[in-house]
Formats: sequence, C-alpha cells, structure tokens
Amino acid sequence: MLSTTWRYLTSHWVYVGQLTVEHIRIVLIANGLAVVIGLTLGIFISKRGREGLAELVLHVAGILLTIPSLALYGILMAVLKSLGLMSIGLVPVVVALTLYGLLPILRNTTTAIRGIDAAMIEAGRGMGMSERQILWRVRIPLAVPAIMAGLRQAIVMNVGIAAIGAYIGAGGLGQLIFRGIANTRADLVLAGAICVSLLAVGLDVALGVVERLSTPRGIRREGRA
Amino acid sequence: MIELRDVTKVFPGGTRAVGGVSLDIGEGEFCVLLGPSGCGKTTTLRLINRLVPLTSGRITVGGHDVSTMRVTTLRRRIGYAIQEIGLFPHMTVAQNIATVPRLLGWRRRKRRERVRELLDLLGLTPVDEYLHRYPAELSGGQRQRVGVARALGANPAILLMDEPFGAIDPITRERLQDEFLRIQREIHKTVVFVTHDIHEAIKLGDRIALMKEGRLIQHATPSQLLAQPADDFVRGFVGTDRTLKALRLTNVREIMDAEPTVIGEEETLAAARQAMDALGRTALPVVDAGGAFLGWIERATASEGGSELVASRVTPYAVLGSPGMPLNEAVALMLESATGNLPVVDDERRLVGVVTFDRLFDQLRQSSAERVTPKELP
Repeated sequence: MLSTTWRYLTSHWVYVGQLTVEHIRIVLIANGLAVVIGLTLGIFISKRGREGLAELVLHVAGILLTIPSLALYGILMAVLKSLGLMSIGLVPVVVALTLYGLLPILRNTTTAIRGIDAAMIEAGRGMGMSERQILWRVRIPLAVPAIMAGLRQAIVMNVGIAAIGAYIGAGGLGQLIFRGIANTRADLVLAGAICVSLLAVGLDVALGVVERLSTPRGIRREGRA
Repeated sequence: MIELRDVTKVFPGGTRAVGGVSLDIGEGEFCVLLGPSGCGKTTTLRLINRLVPLTSGRITVGGHDVSTMRVTTLRRRIGYAIQEIGLFPHMTVAQNIATVPRLLGWRRRKRRERVRELLDLLGLTPVDEYLHRYPAELSGGQRQRVGVARALGANPAILLMDEPFGAIDPITRERLQDEFLRIQREIHKTVVFVTHDIHEAIKLGDRIALMKEGRLIQHATPSQLLAQPADDFVRGFVGTDRTLKALRLTNVREIMDAEPTVIGEEETLAAARQAMDALGRTALPVVDAGGAFLGWIERATASEGGSELVASRVTPYAVLGSPGMPLNEAVALMLESATGNLPVVDDERRLVGVVTFDRLFDQLRQSSAERVTPKELP
C-alpha cells in the first residue's frame, strides 16, 4: 500500500502541490485573523480589573475548541446562510479555524501579559511610565515569545482540522482523504494523511525558528554571553 | 525639599499603614526610613511619588503639593530604585538607563552622553563593555549599579530608594554602600532610603527616621539616635551594642594621638628603656629616619640590652590603621593586637598617630548617654 501511495504522490505531485498550497492558504488566512482578534482581545482582557471578563472569554474560547469540527462547520454554514454570506467552501472553514485558533493565542497572550514580574512593572510605574507605555514597551515585548508559542500551537492544530474542511468544499489536502474514502482508495487517504502530517511538522519546525528569532535577545536562554 | 505633614495612609480594608507622620527632609540630605518590616516605611516612601495614594495629610516636593502634579511628571522628576531592581530584561543596559530620559523626550545624543556619564560614575567601566549588555549578562552587584544609574537617569534632584542593596551578598553590599556614599558626595541628591538594617542606616544616613506600626518614633542624626534613644522601642531596635555601633560614626583621625612619642631605630635600647620609664609606657613605636613605622620595642626587650641598637630588637608589627578608618574597625584590630595600641600610618607608611584604649574609652564615654566605664568593656 505504501508503494501505491508513493506512486500516486510521485505521479500527481503537481496536483498534490496545488492542494498543499490551498491548504496552507486556508490555515494562514484563518490564523492571521485569529492573531489579530486574539491579540486585540487578549490585550484588552489582560488589563487590571478585567479578570472576570478574561476568565469568561477564555472559558468560551475553551468551549469552542471542544465542538467537533464537522459540527462547527455545520453550525457555521447555517449561520452564514442566514446572514446571506457564502455558506460553503472557504468562508465557513476559515471562520471555524479562526475560532479554534483563538484559544491558544488568547490564553498565551493574557497569561504572558499578566505574568510579567511585578517588580518590573513597579519600576516602570515608579519612573513615570504611563500604563500604556508599560504595555507597549514592557509587557508586550516580553510577551512576544509566549504569543508566538500560542500562534505556533494554533497553526499546527489547524493544519489537521483544515483537512476536514474539504468535506464542505474548501479544498486543500483533505480532498485526497475524502476522495480516498469515497472510492475506498486507501492509498489516497494515506497520501492525504502523510501530506497533512508533514505539513504540520514542517510548519512547527519553521515556526519554532521564528519564535526563537522573535524573542528579545536579552531574554533568550542562549543570550547569556 | 520634601515635606510630609500629618501623612496618613489607610488601605482599603482598614489597615492603617501610616498614621500621622510629619517629616522634613532638607535639600541634599540623606534621610533613612528605618524600622522593622510592616512599620510603614516603604508605604511612606511610595506615598512621595504617589505609587500609593494618600489618604490624608499633605506631601510637598520642592514646595509643590504632589497631589496637584501630573503623576507621570512627578515620577519622572524623582529617581526611583527598588530592591528587586526591576531592570527590563529585553533592554540593554544603555536602554534601561535611558528610560526616563526617553520618556522626557531627550535627544538621542544627549541620552547617549548621559548613559556614558552614569556608567562611568557607577564604576561600570570600561563603559563600552557594558552599554550593549543585557541584564541577564550581569552579576547581581552590577545589576544593582545599573538600577541606581537608571534612577539617576534624568538627573533628578530627589532619589527614592527602597532597600536597593537588600538582595545582594554582604561583601558586595558593603562595597556598594561605600561607593554610593562617594557618589552622593559628588552629586548631592536629596535621598530617601528605606532599610530595616540599622548598620546600613547608621552608615549612610545624615538623619534616620525610625518608624514603628505606621508612626514616626524618632527622627534624629545617627549619633543622636544611638546616644539618646527616645524610648524602649528605639533602644531595643538600635541594640544593646549601640555604643559599639556609634564607633562607626567616628574615624581614627579624630581620636588618635597625633604626636605620639616615638623612638628612632638608631637609638640604643638603654635610651628606649629610659623613655618608657619616663612616660610609664610598656612599649614604644619605632620609626626610621624618614618617620616610617617599623614596629614596637617592648619594655622587657629593652631591659635586656644596653648599648645595642633598637633596630636589632624591633618586634615587627603588621596590624596598622589609617586615619580614615572608622573606629569600629580600629577596635577590632586593637583587640587582635598584643599591645592594645594601634599605630596609624599614612599611605607612605609614615607613622601619623597612635590609638590607645584610653583614648577610645574617652570617646565612648562622650558618645554614650549612659556612661560606659572602661571596666564594663572587655
């Protein structure tokens, strides 16, 4: 079976390549949105005095993550249709992946921003920094590694979930899997699965490098000269 | 420079952290807020730059009521250093020190010059080696210096320091204290310094404000505090050895016999013996023709020979004091020495004086309200 899978991949590499690009596109659009929303919301709910709100938001994001993806696609299709938006294909999948990607980004952003050493904040305040200056010059730069870690987690997770999006016509590597299931072609299923896994692992490694590079030099563990 | 009038802080929940404290701190004065933990000293400090909002009373800085100033403006005018230092780990030493100048919108060049000046002042040299390092790449003592440099960043007239040397080893702390005293002599800031360490307070403070349970118990110079404790709490806090602590406030120059009787190395033992008999001494310091201290000649030794020269029988002696040495160190050296005399020499090893226990006792008697008689001392 592995050999037929291999034969399929080598003979259809252009097609598989196209599906991979589609797949990456879906994941990146969704996670781009998730970062924008997650960061904004994360920074907003990290402010002192909004602990209750933060807990609620994180809770909701946690619940979203427990909804099976197929069910969420279904729900979103209905919602989007009633709003008069495109209810099949790319849109519901991107929306779903955005929702899934929110939790790790939100959680890491809030935890990191809140967890900054109190002495540092005290020093900043004592020197006359405004709360906004403390946020942008101290809290956020120091939270970047954690935020990047959250994003990485979200992207890797969404690579897998995006595969199911092919079921509602979003395209991507999931198509190979669903076609394989429909035609009882295990080699196609395997080809799709292998590509999805490789993509996830590849992105994980690449984002690991980005995460390291985005860490301010002074707090990189290897930074001690 | 700083005036506290009937200052009270009650925290939400009813804890009265500071109650009715009034305190005047003059320009260029080094004021230490001293007391056990929970006495309200840190809260008092933080009331000044409004990190803690005032419940009632009035605080003025340079004649301006702090409550009427913009809080960021107020804080940017007052240097602030804390025990945990709170250096920003993602910023270099230079960026950390330039924090307040940057907030004030100083030009890049001016900032850079100021940073170099401060690194130099705090002994973080060669300056170029430290500019671009990160806090994680510094030792604890170096970090503390950067913390102080950062507090001095925009050259504020006032410096608030909350146990800035608290978290480092005793040897480094001692050195940082000495250096900070040297720097303070150069820069003459008005300093409010919080500590729970009586030794640190005595060493650094021009005046000490001793607090207990949110109240100011005594505000006095270190020697007044030691000599005339206001009540039993103060007496207990400064310790039963307060007379000994007071020694730190005097240095050797002030009590030494600056014209001690000496004997030249070219003299004979007989002459030495004669001199000792005349003065009723058991030993004499021996100097060479240039006045450099060589050691002691003892009475017993001098009695043995007649025409032999002193030079041949000198007991060499390594324990030496210097005029600038605080008396507590001098006493420690004297207790170690066999003769109970401490020769005081200058940088060229010339004998400039001698400290004896007699002179020390006189000093102790003066500095102590409850007359300490020589018999009570070891």
